[in-house]
Amino acid sequence: MSVSVRRIMRSDHVVGWAFAFPAVALIVVFGIVPIVWSALMSFQKTNLLSTPEWIGLDNYRALPKDPLFKTSMVHAFIYAALFVPLSVGGGLFAAVALNRHIRGIRFYRLAVFVPVVVSTIATSIMFLWLFDPNFGLANWLLGLVGLGPFGFFTSSDGALYSIIAMTVWGWIGFDAIIYLAALQGVPNELLEAAQLDGARSWGIFRNITLPLLGPATLFLVVFSTINAIQVFDEIYFLTKGGPGTATYVPVLYLFKLAFEQGIAGYAAAIAYVLLVAILILTVIQLWVGKRMVYYAS
Amino acid sequence: MSMSAEIRDSAGALPALEKESGRDPRSDRFVFSWWHLVLFPLAFLMLIPMIWMIITSLQTLNETRHFPPILVPSSIQWQNYTEVLQRAPFARWFLNTLVVTVVVVAGNLLFCSLAGYAFARIKFFGRDVVFILVLATLMIPFQVIMIPTFIIVRKLGLIDTLGALIVPNLAGAFGIFLLRQFFRSLPIELEEAARIDGASRLGVLFKIVLPLSGPVLATVAVITFLWTWNDFLWPLITIYNPDNMTLQLGLTTFQGAHQTNTHLLMAANVMSVIPVLLLFFVAQRFFIRGIATSGLKG
Amino acid sequence: MPGLTFDRVSKEFPGGTVAVRDFSLAIADGEFMIFVGPSGCGKTTALRMVAGLEKITSGTISIGDRVINDDSPRDRDIAMVFQNYALYPHMTVYKNLAFGLKERKMPKDEIAIRVNGVSSMLGIDDLLTRRPAQLSGGQRQRVAMGRALVREPAAFLLDEPLSNLDAKLRAQVRGDLKRLHQRLGITTIYVTHDQVEAMTLGDRVAVMSNGVLQQLGAPQDVYDRPANLFVAGFIGSPPMNLLRAEARGGVASAGDLSLPIADLPDGDVVLGLRPEHLRPATDGQPSMEFQVEVVEPLGDGVIVHGTVSGTLVTAPSGDDEVLPRLAGERAEITTKFEPTLRPSPGERMRLAIAPHHVHVFDGRTGDVIVAAGA
Repeated sequence: MSVSVRRIMRSDHVVGWAFAFPAVALIVVFGIVPIVWSALMSFQKTNLLSTPEWIGLDNYRALPKDPLFKTSMVHAFIYAALFVPLSVGGGLFAAVALNRHIRGIRFYRLAVFVPVVVSTIATSIMFLWLFDPNFGLANWLLGLVGLGPFGFFTSSDGALYSIIAMTVWGWIGFDAIIYLAALQGVPNELLEAAQLDGARSWGIFRNITLPLLGPATLFLVVFSTINAIQVFDEIYFLTKGGPGTATYVPVLYLFKLAFEQGIAGYAAAIAYVLLVAILILTVIQLWVGKRMVYYAS
Repeated sequence: MSMSAEIRDSAGALPALEKESGRDPRSDRFVFSWWHLVLFPLAFLMLIPMIWMIITSLQTLNETRHFPPILVPSSIQWQNYTEVLQRAPFARWFLNTLVVTVVVVAGNLLFCSLAGYAFARIKFFGRDVVFILVLATLMIPFQVIMIPTFIIVRKLGLIDTLGALIVPNLAGAFGIFLLRQFFRSLPIELEEAARIDGASRLGVLFKIVLPLSGPVLATVAVITFLWTWNDFLWPLITIYNPDNMTLQLGLTTFQGAHQTNTHLLMAANVMSVIPVLLLFFVAQRFFIRGIATSGLKG
Repeated sequence: MPGLTFDRVSKEFPGGTVAVRDFSLAIADGEFMIFVGPSGCGKTTALRMVAGLEKITSGTISIGDRVINDDSPRDRDIAMVFQNYALYPHMTVYKNLAFGLKERKMPKDEIAIRVNGVSSMLGIDDLLTRRPAQLSGGQRQRVAMGRALVREPAAFLLDEPLSNLDAKLRAQVRGDLKRLHQRLGITTIYVTHDQVEAMTLGDRVAVMSNGVLQQLGAPQDVYDRPANLFVAGFIGSPPMNLLRAEARGGVASAGDLSLPIADLPDGDVVLGLRPEHLRPATDGQPSMEFQVEVVEPLGDGVIVHGTVSGTLVTAPSGDDEVLPRLAGERAEITTKFEPTLRPSPGERMRLAIAPHHVHVFDGRTGDVIVAAGA
């Protein structure tokens, strides 16, 4: 091999690309290409088997007129509107409680974190049984205090809320971890100074701790909202969108369209609408985040 | 402080959640604290679904068809578990999931280390643009790409094989991001010294950088493991043959076939959850760090 | 306004560390008291106990007649300036200053009067709308002081407030602090490890080591009459030379030095010699041979390092035994001469020691046996 060829082979450009190539290639093929392809698909009519047909903006035009789409978006909105405050607020409450050094705190922290690692399906199975209308523990316990019995996943009024309760259970630990890290990042001296200044516990929490948790709160709110919009596994497993269309959500709809009914182009359009919603939320996060910059140097 | 201790410290730039919080002059480790009254019910609520699942998995069918629910079974039906293994290719599902997860984790560790190192330390043409492109994929929700990815995987002839679950996930932007960030925090003098001593880039990566990257590699491994083990939607789309299913998918078919065999369903569920729980207890630190880091990246 | 009293205060941390041991002293109303000592001597812990940020293990702290052991920090009418300032990063300077008053439900216009008054006194009024991250170190320090002052507290606690400032700023702020105290007259406890700050700022100085109060007195008194070896070695820069000697029949011998001292009991002793009291000898004075090694001209004096025959001791900390420092035959001595006297390295000369300038310490316990005269 000539010297110049060897030198080229050793050059940073070649080496750099050689290192990055496998991962980048995988990401391009299974990430970038699909993103672009999906965009194109949203302008097509295709059933994933025969040749797709270009139909311009027809898919997007059909969306506002589609009652199922509207229902699913309303449900996504309700879902987010309840899931986010409950899981983020609950996570904050749990984190404050967990931020102690009392005996057994390790046990409590583990207990709160465990639901996060359990899969969506396993969680759904657990709650399917817990919320069983006839033999479930939940109905029995609620009965003890004079409530219920409830249909939970089988009730068209209660199914969505039951799923929300279940997923809040599954995600509180995540929010608690983030908040716990943030709480431990608040310098002790600030809290001491506030004590001396005359603030009581609540005053310290409201005026010092909570504002300093701002970045964590912002992240969790946006992250949870994005997650809420994309809920699928639990709905598919537990109710398939039912009873009736009581728990119909966007991702379920687009799954059925693409893989059960072969209406893939339209499904891609829905996916892109969701993407736009997520991008808007992320931009809001970045924008609000910038205005919040007061991190102690 | 020794150099490697410093480096390990920069890996754990997050406050250590495993340790306890700062001084509290008033409750210097009281045996009783009012907070127990809050924490205990909270922990109970978090654990009760699982506890109930375990109890049910050890009951007979008749015991489950009882209201009010029987809290303490009269006997322990270990055979529920073996019955599950007989009635469904559960062991097969477990093995499939294990194979897929291990290969995906290994692939991520390898390819994301290579790429992360290149993005961190090697100046190559188009590096910054490509990196931004990679980061962008982190923001794209799965449902946007799942249809075309399905078509691509089908064209590759991988549908209904474990390959469909492995190949698209062999390298992810999450791992690249974490590793690049970590590599950049290491003192570059170490690598420069090694290169002057004659090591190639590859040698520097494997002999100098990676040995110092234990914690972040563990974090990537653990988070990738968790995500892959729990994945449902992608296997749902690509796998049909029960022999090729993963645990999550298999559980749904099991539930479909055994809707009223609650005791068996719970046993199956317990078996599917144990590996992740075990890993969690063993590697808590890395789970928590991984989860908290995904918060920082946001 | 009442004074502040420590009565046999001790602090033991869980795990067994005793940070403060049997600490008693009384601070007069309006006095500027300094707690000084090396790191870990307990001075900050003592301060934090006054603030209520550390629980008191035993003993009492009182303001006037009132024991404040069980009062929460907010009820003690005490303000503190933290070492790292502890400014609220998400609030403007104005809000930082106003925070305490607002939490105590003071009406808005009264808050404004106080905040503006304090900020103009400290010269930070043009910073009121800024955030701490936008301020320099010196500015932050003044905001921290302002936050404490705005509460018009009964006592003012400062935890090493100058340690994060550069040297020039430190000297300037020292002067500002002294002027402020003269003007406002608030009872102050100031914690530092820097003995220069202790000497220049305090009405009285409490020297601490290993949790124990070593000596309490006016700065000049502590300098002129140290109660033990620790104080002797800690106060004064360059530090006092501590030379091992043997006392017999009223004469202390160290190396080639024979020093007659009145009322000197027999036994092992340590002689304390301040650098500025060592002069080139003229005939007739007790003296020792001195070999010059390093000469450091200071402008207003000359520091000369050299050796004499003999053994030095290390000033002990706390209850430690007095230890000899060097095993060799020569001991390193520091002297401070007039600027006009400038010996050359290698030169041999004799140093005169006036007996009335010598401090004599017990060779075992370190306590002073014979104090130096005027």
